[in-house]
Amino acid sequence: MAAEDQRTTVYKVDPNHPESETLPTLRTEELLLNMGPQHPSTHGVLKVIMELEGERVVKSTPVMGYLHRGVEKLAEDGTYHQFIPHTDRLDYVCAMYNNFAYCRAVEKLLDLKVPDRAEYLRTIVAEVQRIIGHLFWLSAQALDIGAMTVFFYCFRDREILLDWFDELCGARLTTSWYRIGGVERDVTPSLIAKLKAFLDYFPPKIDEYQVFLEKNRIWLARTKGIAVISAEDAINFGLSGPTLRGSGVDYDVRKYEPYSAYPRCEFSVPVGKNGDTYDRYWIRMMELYESVKIIKQCLEQMEEGPIMAEVPSVTFPPKQRVFTNLESMIQQFKLFSQGFKAPPGEIYCGTEAHKGELGFYIVSTGGSKPYRLKIRAPSFVHMGAFDHMARGYMISDACTIFGTYDIVMGECDR
Amino acid sequence: MALKPATNPEVEAATIELTIDGTRVTAKDGVSLYDVIAMTGKIIPAMCYHYTFDPFGSCGMCLVMQEGKKAPVRSCTAKATAGMVIRTEGEDLFLARKKAVEKHLSVHPLDCPVCDADGHCELQDMAFEHGVTNLPNARQKFIPEDTRSLVLDFNMNRCIACAECINVCKDVLMIDALQFMKKGGFNQVVPKGDIPLQCEFCGDCLAVCPVGAITNKFSKYLYKPWQLKKTATTCNYCGDGCQLYLETKDEDVIRVTSHLSWKNKWGDRAETAKGHGGLCVRGRFGFEYIDSPTRLQRPLVREGNRFVEKPWLEVMDLVAGRLAEIKRRHGSGAIAGLMTARCTNEEAYLFQKLMRVVLGSNQLDSSARYGHLNFVRAMKRAVGIGRSLNTWEDFTKAKAVLLIGSNLTETNPLTSVRIKEAIRVYKAQVVTFDSAITNMAKLASHPFLITPGTEGLVLDGLVKTVIERDLIDEEAINQYPAAFEALKRAVSCLSLDHISSQTGISRESFQEVAEIFAEAPRSIILCAEGLVRRADGYQNVLKLIDLAWITGKLGRPGCGVNTVTEEPNEQGTVDMGVAPEFLPGLARFDDPTARERCEKLWGASLPSPGEGRSLLEILEGCKSGTIKALYVLGENPLATLPASVDVRSALERLEWLVVQDPFLTETGRMAHVVLPACTYAEKEGTVTNLEGRVLHIRQALDPKGESLPDWHIMTALASALDCPWEYQSVYDVQAEIRTLVPGYYNLGQPRKVQPVLDNDYWGTGYVREVAARYTGVSGARDQSRPFSLQIGQVLTHSGKLSTQAPGLMKIAPNTGRLHMHPEDMKKLGIQDREKVRIASERGSLQLDVEPDPSVAPGTCFFPEHFNEPPVKDLITVSVDPVTGVPAFKQSWVSIERV
Amino acid sequence: MSVGAVTKKILQAALFQEVWEAMKVTFKHMFYRPITFQYPREQRVIPDTHRGALGLLRYDDGRERCVGCDLCEAACPSRCIKVISAEDRERPLQRYAAEFYIDITRCVFCGYCVEACPVNALAMTKLYEFSTPDKRALLFDKKKLYEIGERYLEDGKKYLYAHHQEQDVQESREYRYYFPQSVLQPTQPPPKHLS
Repeated sequence: MAAEDQRTTVYKVDPNHPESETLPTLRTEELLLNMGPQHPSTHGVLKVIMELEGERVVKSTPVMGYLHRGVEKLAEDGTYHQFIPHTDRLDYVCAMYNNFAYCRAVEKLLDLKVPDRAEYLRTIVAEVQRIIGHLFWLSAQALDIGAMTVFFYCFRDREILLDWFDELCGARLTTSWYRIGGVERDVTPSLIAKLKAFLDYFPPKIDEYQVFLEKNRIWLARTKGIAVISAEDAINFGLSGPTLRGSGVDYDVRKYEPYSAYPRCEFSVPVGKNGDTYDRYWIRMMELYESVKIIKQCLEQMEEGPIMAEVPSVTFPPKQRVFTNLESMIQQFKLFSQGFKAPPGEIYCGTEAHKGELGFYIVSTGGSKPYRLKIRAPSFVHMGAFDHMARGYMISDACTIFGTYDIVMGECDR
Repeated sequence: MALKPATNPEVEAATIELTIDGTRVTAKDGVSLYDVIAMTGKIIPAMCYHYTFDPFGSCGMCLVMQEGKKAPVRSCTAKATAGMVIRTEGEDLFLARKKAVEKHLSVHPLDCPVCDADGHCELQDMAFEHGVTNLPNARQKFIPEDTRSLVLDFNMNRCIACAECINVCKDVLMIDALQFMKKGGFNQVVPKGDIPLQCEFCGDCLAVCPVGAITNKFSKYLYKPWQLKKTATTCNYCGDGCQLYLETKDEDVIRVTSHLSWKNKWGDRAETAKGHGGLCVRGRFGFEYIDSPTRLQRPLVREGNRFVEKPWLEVMDLVAGRLAEIKRRHGSGAIAGLMTARCTNEEAYLFQKLMRVVLGSNQLDSSARYGHLNFVRAMKRAVGIGRSLNTWEDFTKAKAVLLIGSNLTETNPLTSVRIKEAIRVYKAQVVTFDSAITNMAKLASHPFLITPGTEGLVLDGLVKTVIERDLIDEEAINQYPAAFEALKRAVSCLSLDHISSQTGISRESFQEVAEIFAEAPRSIILCAEGLVRRADGYQNVLKLIDLAWITGKLGRPGCGVNTVTEEPNEQGTVDMGVAPEFLPGLARFDDPTARERCEKLWGASLPSPGEGRSLLEILEGCKSGTIKALYVLGENPLATLPASVDVRSALERLEWLVVQDPFLTETGRMAHVVLPACTYAEKEGTVTNLEGRVLHIRQALDPKGESLPDWHIMTALASALDCPWEYQSVYDVQAEIRTLVPGYYNLGQPRKVQPVLDNDYWGTGYVREVAARYTGVSGARDQSRPFSLQIGQVLTHSGKLSTQAPGLMKIAPNTGRLHMHPEDMKKLGIQDREKVRIASERGSLQLDVEPDPSVAPGTCFFPEHFNEPPVKDLITVSVDPVTGVPAFKQSWVSIERV
Repeated sequence: MSVGAVTKKILQAALFQEVWEAMKVTFKHMFYRPITFQYPREQRVIPDTHRGALGLLRYDDGRERCVGCDLCEAACPSRCIKVISAEDRERPLQRYAAEFYIDITRCVFCGYCVEACPVNALAMTKLYEFSTPDKRALLFDKKKLYEIGERYLEDGKKYLYAHHQEQDVQESREYRYYFPQSVLQPTQPPPKHLS
């Protein structure tokens, strides 16, 4: 009975009421609500079992795994190289960053130095991807709250960048452009021109989005003071990226463990104060400006050079050499049919994706396939804080809370 | 060649000390430096090296730095000497090795895309490991591919002249079919004399070729190594039980590979005494029958004169129903079963259990009855062990080998490689007695050609010579003096001169052989089909045991009497009790303790001991109508036995003939129901090879069509006969065998056996029996039939099974020609491919003749695998009075021109 | 905060100032050209790099480029390619792909197979509209792949150039087409730099 008592409250009608004797005692119970997995605001297929008291969330339990495809297991089945297209499908919104994080991890395992130009290209594309990611987040978050226009405008601008990707690597979403030791294809002058044009076009557009949201009282009411998480809790839950920085913790992998061309660029990391949905929104908007800054600097600094490291035992030979040189032919066949052998060891490599720290943990036993590969997916870690963040808020806020830490179920379930 | 004594284990070399990479190691003086380094666990790349033969030194990869020398030295051809200081690693050596790879690469064609070795290529590995890039001055050879051979293609553009193929052929297999030849400006490997390759086609050259220079014609271009699923299993062709890898792609067997491979090039030379890991032509190229389109896919039921495919359930119901009905109407005695020795131990066990427990009949036999049981019965009787006494290691390390009636290179090629190693490495003296000029005879130190059919007489002569020359071992005969006295008495009436004249072997030769055999520290007797499959096989094996006994070779380590088996599991089938006289574990069927144990385990009573019938008795029973139903599992008596046994009329009288086989055999065509069984590639289990190793057969493919493993069918049949067996897999059967025959599963290790002389036999029975054994007469001979017709195995075939493999049939098709010695043909005035009439007391037929120098004068040969023309029907069957073994491999015939 | 500022704020709130500002942006967009287009009547302009459906290419003289080396099969991360190689009956000692399947339902369009191909027999085209009610039609066999290759030959070639798989270098071209070891009699003279 005790357990039941906790969950049910018996409301007594006012005893002074003249008719109190005749009225029955009202008994109320918490409502168990299954939200998802088809709910449109769950960003994929997530089910949350919510315990509601009236409209307030008492407890929520995310049920995950609807989009589980065994990606980590797939990694153990193919060569290191073959896993890159699979990483596209983790966070399918931002494939480039997944490629980047994975390639970086493998390069760290191999202790492979990537050529300078490739590093700049990687940084540029990663930041373009960050813009796409934030635009996608913004559109989805705004749509969750009810602002349809922002969604359209964001998608319009995102479309420009996706087309740019298409021209860069041949696909808009599932890019697989990064390679272990470099990148697949160099940018062409037309691509650079298009990117430069976009960089001039884009900042005013960010201002435009803000016009819609910054002062909108509905937006403010739905974001300010919602889903507050303290800095301490945020750290304890392992949050990262804008979600962590929104709570006032100044942590960014790009700054603290600089990689690629980031140490050669000047940019600031915006940090929030209140740890609420609004601060996280604000950080993302600021990051859009910063990304534009980084890309501009990279484009200025980038020099001509190779885009792939030349390590015959790891990287693919240029195709022309395959046709004429036996050594390159052998290299081609060995690498594609058997892959390279990574030194035995364990490695963790975190990369600052737009959602947070995307880490790859690889255990190698010296073979040409990872013995075990674990993906530290920010969406998954953030999902752990959902219950904490949603408690006490209205059920309608739950939708925005999914959005606020930007989950993509492909990455979360893997 | 200078290194040979050092690698000979018999030579005692001084122990020396040298330093390798800072560690002091000890080695034998004069051993290859490479071997010494490899022993320490360091692996230096070497493309021309393989541990099974002496280093050749052509690739230039195995470079090491020796202190005091400026340039790196090739470690494989360098001898280890005392005080050497060796460095095996370092940037300079890496670069020197890289240079060596570059040298090979610069003349290698750019054809990885079309090369079958791609992905399994040492040159690729080396180039990749050493990071070779941007070679200057690449040239190419333009040598047309040699596709003349039936089995192998030689693409000499890819050859790196490592000579592994030549060395393995010459040193390990002693066939010597390949050579180097300067052609088109390049040193090329060509078949000896640059003619189409004609050899034993064992394909070991293919296995050791580190590049794609030698390719397999049967799987050419069909695969890339990385696509193949490799299943380690046991060859299903002969009793050698070679381990092989079935490499499959989807549902097809693409190729067969061996443990011998350039990949496994580091090893201990002494380990090759247990087998060098190679295969023979049957194992390597005879895999195609597994995917054969003639395989049975669905159960067949006879309806009138034709077969109709029926679903399993219906057919099993029918089979079980009819068997039950016959048992009810005529009793258990009306049911009999025959089994092939190609099945697994578990299936053999289930078969005898099915016959004895479910059907209640002890009328069962296997194809081990065609000869192997002569040996088993004799050994069981005399030394209490029903199998060969020695392992391959003993064969290799023997100092004297007595080969009687055995064409070993043809029947059991890998056992013959052991004898070859004995000759080559251990300097064994090999004596062969055979009525054909076998390949072994060409290598043997004392080859003797004997008159056909006088194998027994030869043994008489040997025993007599041993006693006469006093080569006896006192210790051995003192155990049973009475027996020795009886033996002495028995041989005293023999005349050596008579024996000499009959057999064609001189007195002196007998003496020489007897001395070699008696004085060698390790002497092995190996008898085969020429003895155990002929008349008096049982007595002749006992004579061999006598010979071993009086010379003290019985029970001494490394000595013993052995046989080889033709089918993979003849030993296991007998061990599992598929013979009316044996229960599982080779317990006698009338042994009350064994019977009680079985009855307790099986929870049923066994048929009474007197009711057993063996193969010919079963067929006799069929003919006389006492046996109404016959369950034939893989056996094919109709095609195997000569017409004089009249199998056809026996089978025709049957009310119910069930044949279970992967193929529709001659016997199957007469059946009422044919059940499709799996081949060994589609089932799990174990077989027992001629050494007594229990070897795994592992499933590589899904069963073809609706065929099922034999154990599965038998389990279902037993259940349908109201005797529910609960075997889920063969491992359940194995567990049951383990309780009944403890220690049978020896995990692939040969079972060491110590002969225990049976007191009953040596004490009393011997004295009684021995007089009749040494008669000194060979079989009666009709002077009007001067030629001895011998039918036997050829290298490329095994039983009837191999005739289903198109590849083997391409190598050795049924020419339908009688093999005769050229001299004989000349004498009779017969030309090549001319028709002759061959006549025996059973009848005559006409066929073509071809000259074959390996056939002895006065004999003619026809392969037993083919019945077209039906040469085997000319032969009179003689049945061994003790074991019931039918002998039908030899007969006297006359040959005349037509 | 001054009284004026507070008054302004109250006024802004009462008049829904932020809505007007936002509406201003929206109204401005009425004068922009629409960025949408009417698919399928209008088609997207697809860049040469685009990774669309795969096709098999032939040489200019009509011979199949593919030699059945199975490397694409090995390189494919989703294991959707199946090559059954064999000896060409018409050209003895030539390896070729007797059958070639790409299960396009499993294809992830990563382009690895094209990168792997040592003879540039595979190329990706701009074909992306191959949806069908019959899933079986999505198992592209050799015939279908050559059909695609033939129809979108230009796309395929452009793709190879765009992805640096092919360059207009005489040396590589003549070498690539030449497998001297697989013919009994060379069908063409060896390349210049080899002799």
